[in-house]
Amino acid sequence: MKKVVLNGTLAVLVIAGCSEQTAQQEIDLNQEWSTFEEQAKGTEVNLYMWGGSDSINQYFDNWVIPRVEETYDITLNRVPVTDTKEILTQVLDEKTAGKNEGSIDIMWINGENFKTAKDNELLGKPFSDKLPNVQNFVDLEVPQIASDFGIPVENLQAPWGTAQFVMTYDEARSDYPKSLADLEDWVQQYPGKFTYPALPDFTGSAFVRHVIYQEVGSEVFFEEALMEREEVEELLEPAWTYLNAIEPYLWREGETYPESLARLDQLFANGEVDFTMAYDPIKAAAEVQNGRFPETTRNFIWDEGTLSNTHYLAIPYNSPNPQGALVVINELLSAEAQAAKMDPANWGDLPVVELAKLSEEEQQLFSAIDLGEATVPIREMEQNRLPEIPSIYVEWIEESWLEHVAQE
Amino acid sequence: MSMWRRNKYALFVLPAFLLTITLFFGGLADGLLKSFGYFPAIGQDTLRLSFYQQALAERAFQDSLFLNLRVALLSTIFASILGITLALVLYAFQLRSKRPWLLRLLQLPLTIPHLAAGYFMVLVFSQSGLMARLAYAVGWIDAPAEFPVIVNDAFGWGMVVTYAWKEAPFVALLLYPVLARIGSGWYDTARIYGARPWNYISTILLPAIRPALLTASLIVFVYTLTAFEVPYLLGVTYPATLPVYAYQLYTSGNFEDRSQALAIFWLLTVVTLLFGWIAYRFYRKSYDRGWE
Repeated sequence: MKKVVLNGTLAVLVIAGCSEQTAQQEIDLNQEWSTFEEQAKGTEVNLYMWGGSDSINQYFDNWVIPRVEETYDITLNRVPVTDTKEILTQVLDEKTAGKNEGSIDIMWINGENFKTAKDNELLGKPFSDKLPNVQNFVDLEVPQIASDFGIPVENLQAPWGTAQFVMTYDEARSDYPKSLADLEDWVQQYPGKFTYPALPDFTGSAFVRHVIYQEVGSEVFFEEALMEREEVEELLEPAWTYLNAIEPYLWREGETYPESLARLDQLFANGEVDFTMAYDPIKAAAEVQNGRFPETTRNFIWDEGTLSNTHYLAIPYNSPNPQGALVVINELLSAEAQAAKMDPANWGDLPVVELAKLSEEEQQLFSAIDLGEATVPIREMEQNRLPEIPSIYVEWIEESWLEHVAQE
Repeated sequence: MSMWRRNKYALFVLPAFLLTITLFFGGLADGLLKSFGYFPAIGQDTLRLSFYQQALAERAFQDSLFLNLRVALLSTIFASILGITLALVLYAFQLRSKRPWLLRLLQLPLTIPHLAAGYFMVLVFSQSGLMARLAYAVGWIDAPAEFPVIVNDAFGWGMVVTYAWKEAPFVALLLYPVLARIGSGWYDTARIYGARPWNYISTILLPAIRPALLTASLIVFVYTLTAFEVPYLLGVTYPATLPVYAYQLYTSGNFEDRSQALAIFWLLTVVTLLFGWIAYRFYRKSYDRGWE
């Protein structure tokens, strides 16, 4: 920690001393890629990221940092923050102070924070399409990558990893509905065995968005012009009809809902309900491993697909070492780095590179990883992803659910 | 030197004092301003009452208030009855000059946080909890859903039961010192005049503890009215008690709702202050009056 702080301070001093160094907005992104690698040699790159997870931190300290040091002679400093908003506040402060040589080269963001960064013009030039590994392995056009919670990404940040919603059941105990339409029949056949966390719980809210996609469709939410609240309220009605129709057949006859995902997990573990859910496809396997969920626990996804969101790496407009940032981000999108990231022993985060685009040996790296029997095969998840809607709608949905489903 | 000695204690408490002032009163003041619509961060700087009006007009508020009053009132009644009983048992032990191990036992629940007490109820009394498992093992029930709904019930019994056992020792420990001051001599005297134990309790003991009981039950009432963790764990999704409802509003992400949530919090704060003041007055009165 101390070392990181010290390095940060040194970097600032060095930068202050030689302001003629190229700022990001001045570099020509259309140069030969090897030029960047050449220029980045022997430099330092400051990566600011949320530091609240031991496994993520270890992935960096034990795998990424040694690797970029060896391969590119780049010293990567991982600067942990407790809340990603702090990173944006810092860049914003630098911008307000007119500091064109900042202190951050890479920041890990998505959703709301990306919106803030974009709205306040804290990001540099569009760059992600220039990275060789993106060109080779990533499809920037797929909706859940091209838009970040409804905000067009426009290559201002490079996709790095994926989270996807999954349903969980116990194959020894029950069968499972293949779709939300099936679920409607299923709950009537087995009353009291299904429920979802009360909104505004994050996962419960995601479950309800699936119902909305099914009953309302998703296209309207992605139209460029945002809708007014009244319009959205009106649109949502079929979804509330669906949820109120299944309510009498839910756990405790829908009189109450589990207040959190943790409580739903507990109900599932105790056999009180037959399903739980997660916005984390590897969690069920982990719960089996630590003995909380039965061995026969399995994940499944709806036939229509499940919600997925992407997290990204961005370069601030005033990065002191944009070449270094480009090289590091590119390396983080290599098959090796993405595979290591997916390994539950390191982090367990889904890759953003498409397996079909990789070479035979590279694919081997992924298939060698044991994600646990509970986990849906990566390929299957990959082919069934739905994009997230703009976050402003998510808020309205949560409030509207309380009024139209919980109160009714 | 003596100046230093006199002032050094003030100096020692200064950090704690400053922290309390800034965090506690600062937070209260900030909440008060926002509840009146003063919220410069979102460009609002005119004071107005509309958030209080809005909050009171919501059906969700009224339903919450109704549930809240019911739970608080029932909890207070049960906790008081249990508390009086416990205090009398303690007094009976004292008459027989037993060692106060029971007193120690009663202090135990006081050390358990309400969050833990609430979670304990979930673990033991939910439909897949310890009791349901026992019932299943004995063959009384065949499925979790057959076990009676004790926690997360719409009426609020789960909360009432939790508060009853959690607050009863608190009531007892507030009443017992009053009883302890009534020596065994009073009982002997009463017996000489032909009083049966029940007469002694109803004409001597209960009137003696009445002021302390009032203080204790006021505290329990206002606590159960405004506490968050037990209703959060043991309540139902709708209606939620006022503190949980206000929390939902506050975290909903909409800034307008925040002002409304803070208006509810401030109403609760005012009620707390009012009851606190009344409880204090009663306590002082009973204390000042002494034993004439």
